[in-house]
Parts: sequence; C-alpha cells; structure tokens
Amino acid sequence: MTSNALFAIGTLLSWVGWFFVLRTVILGASLLGNGPDLDKPRVMKDLGPAAATAAILLVLASLMSMKGGTAVGPGQWRFPLVWFVMPYTAWLGTFCFAMGAARLVQAWLALNGEEQVARFKSAGSWGVAVVIFVGLYIGDKTSSVTILKGGIVLTVSTALAIILLAVAALVAMALAGRAAATRGFARSLISQIALIVGSIVFGLPFAFLLITSFKEDRDMSSANGIVWIPKVQDTLPFFDKKDPVFEGTYQGQTVQGSIIEQHPDGTVRVDIFKPLAIRGTTFDAPKSQLKEVPKDAPIVTAVLNKVPIKGLVVENLDDGSQRVSILEPANLKGTDATFSPGDIQPVRHPGLRWQNYSEALSYLPPETNSGLVYLKNTLIIVIFSVIGTILSSSIVAYAFSRMNFPGKNALFAVLLSTMMLPAAVTLLPQFLIFRQFGWIDTLYPLWVPAFFGSAFNIFLLRQFFMGIPMELEDAAKIDGCSYFKAFKDIMLPQIKPALAVIAIWTFMAAWNNFMGPLIYINSPENMPLSYALQMYNSDRGAEPGLLMAFAAMTMVPVLALFFFAQKYFIEGVTLSGLGGR
Amino acid sequence: MDSVTMKLSRGLLPLLLAIAGFAHATPKRDLVVWGVSVGQDQKGQDAVIREFARRHADINVRILSMGAGHMDPQKLLTSIVGNVAPDVINQDRFSISDWASRGTFRALDDLIARDKDTDPLCPTPEQYYKAPWSEAVYDGKVYGIPTGADNRLLYWNKDIFKEKSKELLAAGLDPKRPPKTWSEVLAYSKALTEYNRDGTLKRAGFMPNFGNSWLYIYAFQMNAQFMKDSKTCTLDTKEAVAALNFMIKGYDLIGGFEKAKSFESGFLSKENDAFIVGKVAMKIDGDWILADLARYAPSLNFGAAPPPVPDDRYNHVGVFKNEKETYVTWVGGFALAIPKGARNVEDGWKYIKFATSLEGRLIEAKAQKAWEQRRGRTYMFRQQGSKVANETLLRDFLPGEKKYQDALRMHVSMAPFGRIRPASLAGQKLWDEHVKALEKACAHSASPDEALMAGQKAVQLDLDAFYNQKNYPTVDLSIPLKIGVAALVAVLVGLVIWFGRLKLGNLAKGEAKWAYLFISPWLIGFLALTLGPMVASFFFSFTQYDVINPARWVGLRNYQDLGGADNASVMKALGNATYLACIGVPLSLTTGLAIALMLNMAQKGMRFYRTFFYMPAIVPGIASAVLWTWVLTPDPNKGLINSFWTQTITPWLSVPPPSWLQSAGWSKPALIIMGAWGAGSGMVLWLAGLKGVPGSLYEAAGIDGASPSKQFWSITFPQLSPIIFFNTVMGFIGAMQEFDRMYVMKPSGDGPVGVDDSLLTPVYHLFRNGFAYFKMGYASALAWMIFAIILILTFTQFKLAPRWVHYEADK
Repeated sequence: MTSNALFAIGTLLSWVGWFFVLRTVILGASLLGNGPDLDKPRVMKDLGPAAATAAILLVLASLMSMKGGTAVGPGQWRFPLVWFVMPYTAWLGTFCFAMGAARLVQAWLALNGEEQVARFKSAGSWGVAVVIFVGLYIGDKTSSVTILKGGIVLTVSTALAIILLAVAALVAMALAGRAAATRGFARSLISQIALIVGSIVFGLPFAFLLITSFKEDRDMSSANGIVWIPKVQDTLPFFDKKDPVFEGTYQGQTVQGSIIEQHPDGTVRVDIFKPLAIRGTTFDAPKSQLKEVPKDAPIVTAVLNKVPIKGLVVENLDDGSQRVSILEPANLKGTDATFSPGDIQPVRHPGLRWQNYSEALSYLPPETNSGLVYLKNTLIIVIFSVIGTILSSSIVAYAFSRMNFPGKNALFAVLLSTMMLPAAVTLLPQFLIFRQFGWIDTLYPLWVPAFFGSAFNIFLLRQFFMGIPMELEDAAKIDGCSYFKAFKDIMLPQIKPALAVIAIWTFMAAWNNFMGPLIYINSPENMPLSYALQMYNSDRGAEPGLLMAFAAMTMVPVLALFFFAQKYFIEGVTLSGLGGR
Repeated sequence: MDSVTMKLSRGLLPLLLAIAGFAHATPKRDLVVWGVSVGQDQKGQDAVIREFARRHADINVRILSMGAGHMDPQKLLTSIVGNVAPDVINQDRFSISDWASRGTFRALDDLIARDKDTDPLCPTPEQYYKAPWSEAVYDGKVYGIPTGADNRLLYWNKDIFKEKSKELLAAGLDPKRPPKTWSEVLAYSKALTEYNRDGTLKRAGFMPNFGNSWLYIYAFQMNAQFMKDSKTCTLDTKEAVAALNFMIKGYDLIGGFEKAKSFESGFLSKENDAFIVGKVAMKIDGDWILADLARYAPSLNFGAAPPPVPDDRYNHVGVFKNEKETYVTWVGGFALAIPKGARNVEDGWKYIKFATSLEGRLIEAKAQKAWEQRRGRTYMFRQQGSKVANETLLRDFLPGEKKYQDALRMHVSMAPFGRIRPASLAGQKLWDEHVKALEKACAHSASPDEALMAGQKAVQLDLDAFYNQKNYPTVDLSIPLKIGVAALVAVLVGLVIWFGRLKLGNLAKGEAKWAYLFISPWLIGFLALTLGPMVASFFFSFTQYDVINPARWVGLRNYQDLGGADNASVMKALGNATYLACIGVPLSLTTGLAIALMLNMAQKGMRFYRTFFYMPAIVPGIASAVLWTWVLTPDPNKGLINSFWTQTITPWLSVPPPSWLQSAGWSKPALIIMGAWGAGSGMVLWLAGLKGVPGSLYEAAGIDGASPSKQFWSITFPQLSPIIFFNTVMGFIGAMQEFDRMYVMKPSGDGPVGVDDSLLTPVYHLFRNGFAYFKMGYASALAWMIFAIILILTFTQFKLAPRWVHYEADK
C-alpha cells in the first residue's frame, strides 16, 4: 500500500508540475506577445514562482523512490504514473463521492442558512448515490480494482528534446501571437494549441489512409511503429530473354503476358498477367501481333564473396531464391548470381506507389469496367434520388404551406407523425412489394421511393415557404398565374438555399446508402460504390494498400462536393440539428 | 457454327481481334457461380473454372465470389426469393440441410440417376467417403456434391517435447510420442505448460478449443449424438457432458478459460499462429494448417497424430467394450449445390460434375501446385471428399519432406473415420448454441449440464417451430391486402362524397383540387410505402413467414419469443445500443462542444479548422468503417492506435494493447472512439448555437464578476440546452438503428456480430432475422418493439425536457 501511495503522490506531483509548466509557457508567451492591455510587472511577478514551482515539482516527482513496476536503466529516470482500472460502479461511486464532498465543503463555506441547507441536501443525495454504487460494487463478485503502476521513462536526451521542443513552440506561438496581439491573447493561444493538437489527432486517420494507399506491401507492418514515409522500389526496364513479356490485344483491351505454347501454324498461346482481373486467361495470337515489352526489374544490393554488389532481380527461382544480374561493380557487370531473399536488400527511394490505385481497380471484376460501373450505379441512385426528393418534397410542401384544402391539418399531422417511424418497420414489407415488381437486383428500389417525398424534407421546406411574404404570390395570382406557375416561377426560386441543403442531404444519404444495396443487389453490374467497397474489403482485406486506395477513390467525389458546397453542408447540419427550434 | 467461327477467326484474326468485343456470334448461356473464390492464392479453383469454360465455349461462366469464398446466406436467400438465384453455389456442407429444409436447394437425385451410367464425370456415392457424402443429404435426398473434406488431427511440436523431455520423463511420459488418450493429453499439457512470473501463460501445453476442435470432436469421441432424430435435439446428454468436462479440465489445468483466452488473443492467425511460433505445444486442427506450416515455419519439427480419445475408448472397456473404431475425427468442408429457382440447371450440373470429378480435382491440384511453386512455396494438397481423388493426390502430389508426407498420410488414413455434424434444419442454430454453451461452461459461469440444456432448449424451439407449424393455420396473405385495398377504396369514395358535400366556393374547390394534386406524390407514397407496409408488418408480426413457404398464423408467439426464447439476444442488442448511446452520444457531443468552444475562442483560422474537423463527418460511412477497421487492427505492427499504444502506454504502465474489435469488452469502446472522430457535425451545430447566444448576457455576467466556468454553466449551457436535448434524443434513436458500421467492422464473416454478439444492435438483429434466417414474422415483431421503444424514449425525453431545457420563447 505504501508503494501505491508513493506512486499516487508522485503522479500527482508530476501532474501539478506539468500544469505549472503550461502556466509558465502561457505567461511567457503573453509577455512576448506584448498585447495592449498587458500588465507586464504582474506577469513578471507570476512567471518566476510558476517556473520555480514547476521545476521543483517535476524534479521531486522524478526523484520519488519507486518500488514495483518496471526497472529503469542507468542514466534514465521516470515520471510516475498511476491508473486505476475499475468497473463502472466504482467510477460512478468515486465521482459521486467527490461531488458529495465538494457539496459538503460548499455547505461549510455557505454564506447563509438557506444555502447551507440546500448544499447539505445535495450532499445527502450524492451520498445516497455513493451508497447505491458501493452496494452494486460489493454485490458483483467479479468487480475488482486494479492499480496500474508505471512511469514515463526519460533519458537526459529525451528530456532535453522535450524542453527544446517546448521552447521552440513557445517562440513560434509568440511570433504568431504578436500579429494577433489583442485582448484575450492567452485564451486564444491555448485554444490555438488545442486546435492544432486536435487537428493532428483528427487528421491522423486520414493521413494513415492516404499514406497506406501509397505504400508498398513490405511497409504495411513494421515492428518500429507505423511507416509514415512511403518508399518505392527502384526498378529498371529489363528485357528478359528467358521469359519475355509481350503486349497484345485481347477482346479489345491491351494486355501483357508471357508465351506458354508455340503452335505449329506460327501462332502462340499467351498467358495474361495484366490486367489483374483476367490474370491467368490464355489466348492465341500470331507472334507478329505481339510486341515485346520490358519488365520492371527491381534493383537490389547484396554482398557476393565479400564484395558489395548492386544488381537487378531477373528471375524468381522455384526454391524461393532469386537470380540477380549484376550492374555494379563494373568488372562483374552482366554476370548473374543467385541469392536467397534474406541476403538481398532492395534499393528504394521515398516516393508514392501510384500503382496501388491502378492495381486496386484492375482487381475488380471485368464486367464492372474498372469500377466505372459502380460509379455509374451510384450516380444513377444519387441523381434520381436528388431530383425525386427536390421535386416531390417541394411541391408537397408548397401545397401544405400556401394552399387551403379540406383535411389539410389532419394530413399534415399524419405527415409529422411519420417522421418518428423507424425505417425498420417498413423494411420487410417494402422488400416484398419490390419483389412483387421483380425489382430485386435492380437499382429501382434504391431511388424510386425518393419520388414520393420525405416527411422531414417536406416539413422543413414548409417552414421555409411559410417565411415568404404572401404578397409576392398574391400579386402573381391576380395576374392570372396558375398554382403550378406560381409555385415554379415565384416560390421555388425563393427557397433555393433550402433546396441546396436538401439536395446535399439526399446526395449524402444516397451515396452512403448501404443497407439498401445489401438487401436488393446481387450482381456486380448493379452494385453501387458503398457495397462494392464492402465487398472489396472482405475480398482483399489482407492488402491494405489496395483497399485504402479503393476507399480513397470512393471518398474523393464526396470530399470534392464538400469543398465546393461547404456552406450548404454546414447550413444543413444546423438546420437538421436545430430541428424543433 | 462454333467451329466455323473458330476457323474464320484463325484466318481473319487480325481483323477479328480488332473487333473482338463484337465477335460473339452465338449468344452464350450465362452460368452464375457463387461462393467460389478465385483470389490470388486460389489458382486451383481458377484453373477448374477456366478449363470448364474452355471445354464449353457456349457457356459464359460468371463468378460472384461474395467475399473470399465465404457465402453470405442472406444474399442467397434474397436472390432465391427475388427470383435471381445463382446456378451453382459453393456452400459450407453442414449448413446445406439447414437450407434444404426450407426448400432453398434443388435435390440432385434425378440428375445423378440420369447421368450415372452415361457420364463418367457423374458423381456417385461409392466414390466418396461416407461422412462427407451424407452431410449434404437431407431427408434421403442429395442436395450437394462434396469437394474438400478437412479432417482434424492432433498436431504436436516435437521440438518442445524434446526441450521438455526431462519434465515429461519425470511425469512418466514418453517425450518421443504424442498423447493418445484424454488423461494422457492432460498430463502432457501439465508438464509442457510454462508460466510467466506474473502468473500469465508463457507457453500452453494444450488448449482444448484452440485450433479447430470445438465440443464436436470430443463429443464424437464419446459417441454423442447431438440430434436423436430430425425432430429432437439431444445436445445435453451424459456423453456430451463428459466431453465438456474434459474440456473444462483441460482449461482449469492451465489456469482457467479466461487466462487461456487472453493468452490466445495475443496471437493472430497465419504467421503469428500460436502453434507456429511455438507458444502452444499441441493443438487439434484441420489439414489447412499444413500450408501455413510449410510457408511460415518450414523449420518447425512437428508431428500429426489422431486426436486423443477417451481412455475407455482407447482401452475398449466400459461403454466402449464393443467399439470397433478406436480413433475418430471430425470432418467438415464445402459442397457444390444448385439453389432452387436456378435458371440454368443443366449447365450448373455440368459444372458440378466437372468440378467434383477426379479430373477436375486434379486440375485444381496441378494448377495450385504450379502457383505455389512459382512463389517458392511447398504445395500441400487438401483433403478431398472423394476417396479416389484423395488417394490419387496422395500418390502423385506428395511433398518431398517426410514430416509433411507423414501428416498428409495420417489425414488420408483418418478420412474413413470422419464424423459429421448432424444434418438438421437447425444446423446453424445448433452450432451457435453449442459454442455459447461451451464458452459458458469452460468459464464456469454455468455447469456443463445447465449450459448444454440451455442450448438444447433453444435449438428444440426452432425444431418445434418447424415441425409444429402444421398445427398453425396457414393464412392467405392476399386477404389482408384485399381488405386493405377495399378499405382504401371505401375511404376514398367516402372522402370524395364528403368533398362534394362540402360547401365550398368554386375558387376554393379549384384550389383544393390543385392542392390534392400537389400533395399526391406524398400521399401515394405514404399509402403504398408507409401505411400499407405498416399494416402488413403488423399483420406479419402474428405469423411465421419465410417468403418461400406459405405463412402460418401463430398469434402472439413472436411477441412471446421477444421476452422468452430469444430474450437473451434481444436484451444483448438493447444493452449494446444503450452502452453505445449512454457513453458514445455524450462523448461525441462533448468532443464536438469542446472543439466548438475552442474555435469560438480562437481568433484565427476558424474557417480552416472548421473544415478540418468537419471532414471526418462527411466521409462515406463504409469508407470510414473500412479505414477504422485498419486503424483498430490489434497487431501493433499494423494498427494505428495499437502502434501508439505499444509505444506509450505499454512501456509506461505495462498494459498490453487491447484487441479492440476482436474482443467482447473492447469492441464497443472501439466504435465509440470512432464515433468521436466523426464529432464534426456536432461541432458545427454547437458553433451555430454559440453564435446564437446573445453577447449581452456575457457582458452582464462579466460585469457581475462571474468566472468563466460559472459563465459556461449559467449562460452557455442553458442557451445550448435545446441542441443538447435534440441530439441526445436523436443519438439514442440512432444507436438503436446502427447497422452499417457493425456489418463492415465485425471480425467474423457470419455467426455472432462481434465477439459474443458484442456489436449486435436491435436493427442488426432485425436484419439478421429478416434477411438471414428469413423469419419475416419474428423480424416484424422486432420492428414493432423497436418502434415502441423509440416512441417511449422520445415521449419521456419530451416530458422531461421542460425541467432542464431552456427555450427562448419561455421567457
């Protein structure tokens, strides 16, 4: 228990120490920032003690003797860390206990009797909660609290590096802050730091996606953490005399392959290996139709008889070893040597492996035309959904907002009540209905319903129509304008921004729709991108490079739309989220 | 015609090649094959298909692999009921009878009888081992032709046995041979198991369910029958209890099930398999591991032996006195079958005959061998359901090294002693329940008897539902439709009459007519796609209906099942949704709010940051699920999060990284972290809300000397409370209906959604019942339960709202 207590104290000291470091940084930054209402002497007065406290606490923390936990090597020390692994009952109990204690202190400090009573009451209810959670904790036999002990190991160099980094950050922020030296400088500074850190955390998965999509297979996993700088293999074009590669035409597309059979009539049989989707297909062609093309042979280094050499891998042998044609040194040039894969190092340079993208597409079934069919299907769904939703929702909303008809209120109430209905309820019968139409494995079930309006969009557009002054329309009607013309020419242009928002929602919903295709679509020719990506994921899940490349490609159109129509996206969120307001 | 085309194409090749796309003079017949994987390492199957296509130029073979050879049952059933079924399907054999019972497969007996004498390729029962052939036979009819037949053996690491020979000899065991009986395997395991200083496992001797054994193999060794006949499940018998007790003993011996599981979860398959890296000394597994052993651990010195059997069986005493077979094993594998409603049965049958024939099998082996050799790997042929094929492969395709030869010989010699999972209409359910029972009993959360009994009851329920359905009256589904249409017509007529009688001016009447025309799209949609389906759904919820067979009226039984037979799953789904909502929704909201507050304070770069933080929220759902599956990969050498974890938290607190989606406890936190990444849409909302808070309030508070935290709680928070309220409601409703992420991110292809159903949501449960089991009636009852819960949630939240939600209008 004493060692646990020691750890806890050490941790506390280090955390408080870090707090003072931060405070020192902020004070120092505001000093450099030189804002207009800067109280220089006061800041100076605060700065010294803050820095001193930080230093003392951190040194103390790092010097705490530590029993248990992992050992520290020579020249290292560490900041103690403690974490409690507790079941939720214990966490909630602790929280309630802390709240109750705080209320008790408040009650003790209360100014008048009335407040005191209120505080005591509140403390009492927190106390009851504590009792409940303690009861639950004891009642569950499996619950136990584990105290994890350890520390952040630091060496002199890492500590120095951290200090240097902190100073550099301080200077950089101060320089940036100088330009924006206004009131609330310190707050702005903190939020800038937090936002930059946040951006890094939020951006990491994106960076991971993009970088993975450009990585070679060998960089996908590494014992030293994620590989963040993709490298590509250096290659040289190489005409293989033993197994030449030929380019020809098969069913209208250019293919590469090797000759596996010579026929007496002068034609040859070609085994295709590129594009990958029809790899392994063979076809017959006259030799004159084929053109020999070079292979991309990887450049490697190795050691041959204690002489370092550089060469091209020209053949993969059956036993797994590789034949290398030597390029350097000059006296060995042109000779061959055989190495086992462990003995050769590839020559690589930092770069992006764009082939991941083309390869990802070439693995798709040939009938999908390198994935264009998926895109076409998605676009069909998206475009028809958007058109359908806009047309139907706006005209229905117009009728509900601007026209009078018997039963209007009752119908509108029905419309509102359908907003609550989860799609799950109608999912199965709708499937049976579309099945009756013979629409299974077609795109119709995915966009036809859009032409019948959606309750939420109708509701929203109605609100917009209500906001348009009556006079505009009345004037038009007096001029003998029909209802439809009034709607089309006068009212519709007024709500363009709202329509844009709805169009974007519909676009996103249709683009992302997954359960629909999952239920209705079977064949690759009818699959939209979302479903195709899931299929690709389960098919090629082991090849993250290709998978991430494919995923990136499905994201691009949406991200592009986002950058061009950001305003409407943001407006859309606000509209939907403030719903009832 | 074809030969003419061929000749022509030889002569006019230059021209014809150019227009090759249009050169199909005869329209080819499409043959749609599902579940066959033609991936990178599947050159064998690829070669069979290509050879078949070459021989039948008039057939256009179309492969729909549906995910790495794994067939999604939901897809097959939807395609059958949607009349777009494939012509051939490669299906896990044990599930065939389950499916055949629902009439989803075409019996092949007539085709076999027709071609038996005329076609040498035609499969006949004599060519096959008894077990694999009978696995695809249901109710006396043949529904599938077996391809592979993977039996299980005990693989033992000779090097570890040698290393620990002193300990083994001390325990009176021979380090040169594998254990033969249950008591021996336990004794070996005890001697071979090593522990770390902190009590965790360093190396396990034998983990009863590591590899591929399950309860089945031990139960088979006890001669347990999981089904007495097709109508009665006998999961809980004294034989099965004995088998389960052996497994429990095996786990307790090495420190318990939990400890073994967490040890196991530190390893992955393939090159990181615990047996391959020498962390498990013995395991029972199928012949597929030979290829991995050859590829990833060529120097590992291993042996393969028949799985150890009960002592009494080995000694032929007690109940085994008259037993002839000393060793038995369990055999599984795939079969090719023709679904009901296939449009091209003839060509499908041609394909099946070719692919399952000796010739087809050898083409597959040859191509696969060539492929493996090109890549510098040793080829290990796979065990076949066909006796002839297996023996030919053993003769002609044996690898050079003796240890592989011995293992393959042992597999072939055990093939006649294979036992199969019972052919039952509840096969899948039986499997799921047996896994549940086994895990519960091994973890000591139930006695073997209790655990098996619970499973037996659940299976029996499905069996009864099927066999007792004749007790329920069939209902004509067109009756409610007719009634509905009649009611609709009546209402419409009534409305027209009512409209005619209304005292409206001409102008008003004209307006009303236009208005009805304008709202007609919604009105039609509402009637046809909302109200109609709602009524239908309500009606279905009182029936048992699988779309293929006529519906039966079961009254309230579906609703009783919600609270009774299926209650565990329902509660699990609701519990998961509550977990995700209670922790995930507040976390996402606060993350969004924190960013928004920061943005509001920062004076520069607001637009940039806003775009940046919002971006994750608009990434298409499936793409982000795919991305996060990789971000959350447990392997610290690959996964983003665990890579950071092993560099920070592991050295600091010596906590190993969690296995996220692969574990029951961490999978929901994983999704919550992922959800927090998408908090950007919340942030935009908060920003709008923050902008709406009148600055005058803060100024007044500032003059009164209120601290920033006080200002937040007494001004900002109440002003934002409508947004908090709205989003909490929506968050809960959303969590109930989560589906896409779970579907993509769940670790295994079928069965549980996440480990122990830890990612099952109510809508996922509905989807599974509706589109995987095609229990339309029960799924409808689920839908109504979800609807009711959503209604109650919304209603109570609106009731509670006035207590804390601040509306501007109230003032």
